[in-house]
Amino acid sequence: MIAGGWVCLLAPLAGALAITLAGQRISRRTAGWISTLTTFIAFGGALIAFFGLWAADPEDRERVSTAYTWLAAGDFEVGFQIQLDTLSSVMMLIVSGVGGLIVWYSMGYMAGDDEERRYFAYMSLFVFSMLMLVEAGNFLLLLVGWGLVGLASYLLIGFWHHKPEAVAAAKKAFVMNAIGDATFALACVLLIWETGTLELVGVFDDVGSMSSTTVNLVALGLLGGAVAKSAQIPLHTWLPDAMEGPTPVSALIHAATMVTAGVYLLVRASPVFEAAPNVQHLAAILGMLTLLVAGVVALVQWDIKRVIAYSTMSQIGYMFVAAGIGAYGYAIFHLMTHAFFKALLFMSAGLVIHHLGGEQDIRKMGGLKEVMPRTHIAFLAGALSLAGIPIFAGFWSKDGIVSSALATGGALGWTLFVAGLVGALLTGLYTFRLYYTVFRGEQSAFAREHAHEGHGEGPLSMLVPVGILTVLATIGGLVAIPGVWEPFLHWIDETAQPLVEPTVGQDYGTSAIAVTLGLVGLFLARRAFQAGRQLVTNPELWRVLEHKLYFDELYDALFYRPAAAISAALRRNVEEPVIERSLDEIGSGTIHVGGEVARFQSGLLRTYALAITFAVCVLVVVFVAVR
Amino acid sequence: MSGPSVGWYLIVAAMLFGIGALGVMMRRSPLIVLLSLEIMLNAANLTLIAFARQHGDLAGQIFALSVMAVAAAEVAIGLGLIVAMARRRLVLDVDQASALRG
Repeated sequence: MIAGGWVCLLAPLAGALAITLAGQRISRRTAGWISTLTTFIAFGGALIAFFGLWAADPEDRERVSTAYTWLAAGDFEVGFQIQLDTLSSVMMLIVSGVGGLIVWYSMGYMAGDDEERRYFAYMSLFVFSMLMLVEAGNFLLLLVGWGLVGLASYLLIGFWHHKPEAVAAAKKAFVMNAIGDATFALACVLLIWETGTLELVGVFDDVGSMSSTTVNLVALGLLGGAVAKSAQIPLHTWLPDAMEGPTPVSALIHAATMVTAGVYLLVRASPVFEAAPNVQHLAAILGMLTLLVAGVVALVQWDIKRVIAYSTMSQIGYMFVAAGIGAYGYAIFHLMTHAFFKALLFMSAGLVIHHLGGEQDIRKMGGLKEVMPRTHIAFLAGALSLAGIPIFAGFWSKDGIVSSALATGGALGWTLFVAGLVGALLTGLYTFRLYYTVFRGEQSAFAREHAHEGHGEGPLSMLVPVGILTVLATIGGLVAIPGVWEPFLHWIDETAQPLVEPTVGQDYGTSAIAVTLGLVGLFLARRAFQAGRQLVTNPELWRVLEHKLYFDELYDALFYRPAAAISAALRRNVEEPVIERSLDEIGSGTIHVGGEVARFQSGLLRTYALAITFAVCVLVVVFVAVR
Repeated sequence: MSGPSVGWYLIVAAMLFGIGALGVMMRRSPLIVLLSLEIMLNAANLTLIAFARQHGDLAGQIFALSVMAVAAAEVAIGLGLIVAMARRRLVLDVDQASALRG
């Protein structure tokens, strides 16, 4: 069982190393296969670990395994250790399973690209980083995985390095994530200081003995990391730009390996957050803001991938709400169903983009239902799941979160409840705006033009993973049916005991309202589409939303411009006049003095002799006089 | 201890040194400059030996011997330079050889 955990962790790393070391000696296709197979080997390891835990006694489902002491300083030791428990085993399954499907899909998507080997090495590294993050048995390894995920995403977002926008987006993602990494690292330092250990178990045992200030600071630090990684307000601006990477990368970032890390951390470190309830509620409030903001911004975007990206932000907002009010089971449940339908949406969007020769603007699409029937079904399943329509996976998890907010009660609970319902309406609106614009109506001229080039809807390596995910996005939610059969939630509860559990009545009541709102969104989007108008008709509002509520401009004005102005002023007033000029002065001064001194060097031997004699005479006189 | 006292030797040595120094400073022929240098060195030798005799210590005489060895080496180089200058038909005048002016 523990061996399964290690296999799961190390297989993708081995894949990345193998592809890197083999270099030109293997074909591009082989590189793809190595990456895919190692990821599926990791999935096999995760399955072994999962069923090992399943068979184990419920009291005994927390296994820590240390390979060696990685770092030791006095009494403080950090081992290279993994922790297998109910939470990490589920995450391992999601990361390696969905990740494997996405890597497999990329073999078709990236075929013919110039640098496929580099691509697949990065993909394997990405999966390895995330597995390290979820399996880590201490906060330091978690931080290492955290940083590596940031690095891999940077490499992959900027994969097409000849595109300046891609490079800029990669840098933006890296910098935004670095802010979160820094706060996370500070939290780790505080933990070492206060508890003397970074092991998850040890820290959680010591939470009670820390002062409330410390706990709050640690929780804030962890939350900062989670907010940056999961693209929540205020550190969310990198995610939409990250769409510059190849589409499977977006799928990987959104579904399996990156943005879910923040939610995982909130659940993983739940004892710390429960000791700092204000910070936990802050997480819920940030999640709520993000889910609303991202939902409205998604209404006006024209790029197919950006719409899906904003929907990710919005759905992660739901997960933050759930983790913030202590409904950990639902947070992870939504994380899983979201991984299914979001990967599915991105991959079917990828099929569309692939089919249309790289076009991402939905204004040029339309009527693709006829030419791409299978993609249409896959996308529709993903969209219904995202909008929370019953029996589809998203329905079970999202409604669980909203009803948990209702069960929390109080001002906070009710606010979150209402926001969650508004979010459900928004989700229906933007999802089906996208669906109708792309797949229904008349075929656009652009689509007709490119449809002829089509060789079917795509290669088999793209269609099979999409098919598997279609099934998962449809029935993947049936592992937690309120009041009937909830094995998934009980499984997570063993690691993170929930603070709130909605009653069955609340569950079904909420579902009724949320589904109605989702359907209302669907029909509003349909009517708007049929009438040929946009969902947002007010031009003022449209402009505000198109600028994403001016977050980029705000950060530009708050951070970039002052920094640039200070730098320019320093250059003008310090660098140039003081530092550069002083160097010039020292140089010319030396030359001048040297010229003066050189005049003594006449080249006349007799003068030198005279000077020596004179000097000796002076020395003798001085010597005698001083005596 | 017989013979004149050490003061006389010192007077002779000082005169020799002065003659040598004036020769180095005033004459322009490199050959004469070299000769004058030898005179200065020998003035120093004379002082060393005089004091060695006075103190009955051989160290000064040994030192004089090593000065002679150095002087011989110096003359070899100096004469070699002068021969080289003559071969190249350069003017044998130290004031003319001032290529190393700063």
